Amino acid sequence: MLALAAIFSLPVVWVLITSIKKQSEYAASPIVLFPAVPQWINYQLAVTMADFPKYATNSVFLSSAYTILVVITSALVGFGFARHRGPGRDRLFLLVIGTMMLPTLVLFVPQFVMFARLDLTNSYWPWILWGLAASPYHVFLFRQFFAAFPRELEDAAEVDGCGPLRVFLQIFIPNAGPALAASAIFAFLWVWGDYLYPILLLNDQNTTLAVKLAKAYVDPRGNPLQTITMAGIVLYVLPLVALFFAAQRYIVRGVVTTGLEG
Amino acid sequence: MSADTKPTLNAPHGQLRTTRRRLLAGAGAVAAAAAVAPLAVACQQQPTSKKSGPAKVVVMTDSHEFGDDDRKLLQDTTKIEIELVEADLTRLYAMYAAGNPPDIFRVQAAGIPQYISRRMLKDLQPYFANSKVLKIDDLAPANNFYKSDGKKVGTGDLYGMVKDWSPDFTLYAYKKPFAEAGVTVPSDSQPLTYDELAALAKKVNKKQGGKRTYWGFVHSNNDQWIDRTAMNMLAEKNQSLYSADFSKLVIAANPETLKVVRYLFDLAKDDVHQNPLDPSPNWMGADFNEGQIAILQYGFWYSAMAESDKTKGNVVFLPAPTWSGVRRDPTMTATGWVISSQTKDPDAAWAVFEQYMGGKPAQDRAKSGWGVPGLKSMYPLMPQETPFQKQVQKVLQAELKQSEFTLAFNPYIGEETFATSWKKHLEPALKGSISFDKFVANIEADINTAIADGKRIAGNN
Amino acid sequence: MSAAARPIAGSSVRAVAWRRRSARRALTFYAFLSPWLVGFALLTALPLAVALLMSFTDYDGFNLDRVGFVGLENYTRALADPDAQHALQRTLILMVTVVPIGVGVQLALALLLDQRLRFSGLLRTIFYLPHVIPVVGGAWVWKLFTDPNGGLLNAIIGIFSPDTYIRWLVEYPTVVLSVFVIWAAAGGGMVIFLAGLQGIPAEYREAAMIDGASPWQVTRFVTLPLLSPVIFFQVVVGVIATLQILQQPILLTPGITGISPGTVPPRDNYVFVGHAYNAIFVNHLFGYGAALLWILFALVLLLTLVLFRTSGRWVFYGVQQ
Repeated sequence: MLALAAIFSLPVVWVLITSIKKQSEYAASPIVLFPAVPQWINYQLAVTMADFPKYATNSVFLSSAYTILVVITSALVGFGFARHRGPGRDRLFLLVIGTMMLPTLVLFVPQFVMFARLDLTNSYWPWILWGLAASPYHVFLFRQFFAAFPRELEDAAEVDGCGPLRVFLQIFIPNAGPALAASAIFAFLWVWGDYLYPILLLNDQNTTLAVKLAKAYVDPRGNPLQTITMAGIVLYVLPLVALFFAAQRYIVRGVVTTGLEG
Repeated sequence: MSADTKPTLNAPHGQLRTTRRRLLAGAGAVAAAAAVAPLAVACQQQPTSKKSGPAKVVVMTDSHEFGDDDRKLLQDTTKIEIELVEADLTRLYAMYAAGNPPDIFRVQAAGIPQYISRRMLKDLQPYFANSKVLKIDDLAPANNFYKSDGKKVGTGDLYGMVKDWSPDFTLYAYKKPFAEAGVTVPSDSQPLTYDELAALAKKVNKKQGGKRTYWGFVHSNNDQWIDRTAMNMLAEKNQSLYSADFSKLVIAANPETLKVVRYLFDLAKDDVHQNPLDPSPNWMGADFNEGQIAILQYGFWYSAMAESDKTKGNVVFLPAPTWSGVRRDPTMTATGWVISSQTKDPDAAWAVFEQYMGGKPAQDRAKSGWGVPGLKSMYPLMPQETPFQKQVQKVLQAELKQSEFTLAFNPYIGEETFATSWKKHLEPALKGSISFDKFVANIEADINTAIADGKRIAGNN
Repeated sequence: MSAAARPIAGSSVRAVAWRRRSARRALTFYAFLSPWLVGFALLTALPLAVALLMSFTDYDGFNLDRVGFVGLENYTRALADPDAQHALQRTLILMVTVVPIGVGVQLALALLLDQRLRFSGLLRTIFYLPHVIPVVGGAWVWKLFTDPNGGLLNAIIGIFSPDTYIRWLVEYPTVVLSVFVIWAAAGGGMVIFLAGLQGIPAEYREAAMIDGASPWQVTRFVTLPLLSPVIFFQVVVGVIATLQILQQPILLTPGITGISPGTVPPRDNYVFVGHAYNAIFVNHLFGYGAALLWILFALVLLLTLVLFRTSGRWVFYGVQQ
């Protein structure tokens, strides 16, 4: 297991090593395993060249806002698909999944026009609206997760006279910690890492870190400085890793019981 | 275990009905959209009334070329609010579709004929004529790329300006591979011919087994600008890749063009140029810095970074080679700004434009040594301190005399269409799966299809 | 009341009550769905329709006021385009490679790391890391890794058999691409499966073990079937995502360092969305590119339907579907 992890993380280790190399050592041949002098200054440059604090704040805000909204709404919708019935359920679910299937590339221009007509470009409103509208991927995730629960859970609750929302909030949600955590991680990661939509919808002042990182670490001519970019990536990724390390306990929180005995 | 854990089937028979109904629903949606869309488009064409308050200009450019400091400086100087949007083609499409394109946007020479033919650019000649900062006589030759008389690019009214430029066909030679091969480095006052250059490149090219020590001659920004290199060579004899009205790409039927294409192909085949079979993980500028390239073809701008730790003191700046004896060394990129024909406040846009092109930002650019200024009066600002910079300037002055020309880009195809086709067919050609003649035929087919598409769209005008 | 009337009266009361209950059930159902229903109608439906409309025009990005309808021409052209066919083939090969291996890796990781061992947390984080690294950074690292001259991979191989000089990105581009994609997605899928494993009540596994099952039998006959909805999820999502891959082949093209429209990946890595991207941003054929993408959509839809139809045989839900 440990050996596997070592091999698996080799590229990651390489990112770390590259981040403290000099630019000339980046792709040097024959290979330079370790930098002659660790260039810790790369990290400092990574922060200054991209105005890290400002854009990191933008990213944190946008990611958090979207995550909170989308997890809640997607859980609701996914639960509805999983545990409730209604006319057209299968067709609607197929529609949900269907919207995942079209490459977003082709939607960019129409979406932009729509948001522009509503005067919502250069603002964070598109993400708020998307969060409120639930995301097909997360809906699918929650639907699969909730569908796997045994029927007895609801039957027992109905016997007790609970309304549907209470069933959802008091029985399913407490047992949905792992799915909520996984969904939250993915939602946060999507906004944090996405640069296609921020480039399309935001301006230079309120754009996200992902956009800046993609363009900031270049020399005056525009040619990329990979070593500083690697340092930037390490910094960029660090909060997510910390978040994951803390959150992954909730994913392996301990096996849930059906709550039926006693 | 209770009976509920028994596997239950998804209702499959619902799925087929689903698909048909979905199609019908989809058709209904399309019909609705078809009704709505023309309305939406019509609404967009109405100009919005000017808002009261300070003027605002939206600039779409690369945030390196126009950083936050520059933006604030210009805001203070012009008292106009400037909003910066990162240069992105999708965003440009989208903004045009929404009826609200940026007031100013960044372009390169190869895209200008297309933009002009779609009437997207504002004629700036009157502004230039009245400007105290950007005087028409003071404009560097590269600005000819921004001139159009409605039919041709190169003469006529000005539609924009370069932010800086370089004669792009100059060479950088790294002395070490020459020494190792026992070959003298070419003189910096006598230009080579392309044939001499190829011969030289083969001599200094070095490869041991599979490992590459030196590439002999790397050019065209890793083939991204291969058509421009070819065009410049052909233009020496007033020839072109295309027919006179740009309606066809002609290679096989024109012996001179075939010669040029064969020459460029052989550079890849003889392995002196980075190619799909022997690529590098880096771009050619970085490889030169690593001392892996003997001769590099880049413009003056590269001199700002040509001397790395590895190559310091061993780099010579050489004049552009010639194909047939006629000297031509224009720029092939001419990055600059244009003002959109749909701008709602042209005067404000011009004010920002003028300052960027002729004010302090322009002076800073000149002093940085990353390009020749767009105004001749700023030439003396270019750095001349180190011995290398002095040598560069010496050669540059001679080259500037050969840079009056423009390249005739095809207005019907995109900037990268030719290069993409070249690169696509180069891999199988080098591997031997297709012959050279098939390689040429494939490219001709690709490009002529693209031209036909472009012409048809232009015909809608 | 006569004996005949009573049952009729009773059943009509029952019928009304049933209708009221099912109306209420339907209302509850729609209530839960309302965020998505409203969101879809307002935010997605119109752009979707316009995107479909675009595929029937010769829109090129800038000619909105002069755009012309070309009917199905974009579609017939797309279906006859040899480049598109080649791209489709390569994309399908990629999918068939990446999805089974990828899901298998993710599942294995989750099963192995589901325990509360000392280093589990750390190991899980290590395996999750690649998922968090932006695709551009990951691609650069893999490019460097596989560089013939300066790359770690050839250096390591060189220890065992010197003088090997494999140009990975030139000779085996699809292998590198597949490994990169699987590597980057492994951690994410692992997290999903870990979450899914938590949904399986311990009693079921314990009961099986009491009955004398070995750990492997428990996994095969208890855990995996109960996990099947989540496995199904990963497979469907994996298929959808792999067929839409765009950035990774471009970023792994030897020689370039960013995403520029003019980048030409090696022939073997010429994926379908890459072809559409090329059509839109290099050749300025937005309508044609849109048609290509809608064709891809149809294909993805078809595959997903097949997956759903065949899922009945191996996916077990706790609730009657």
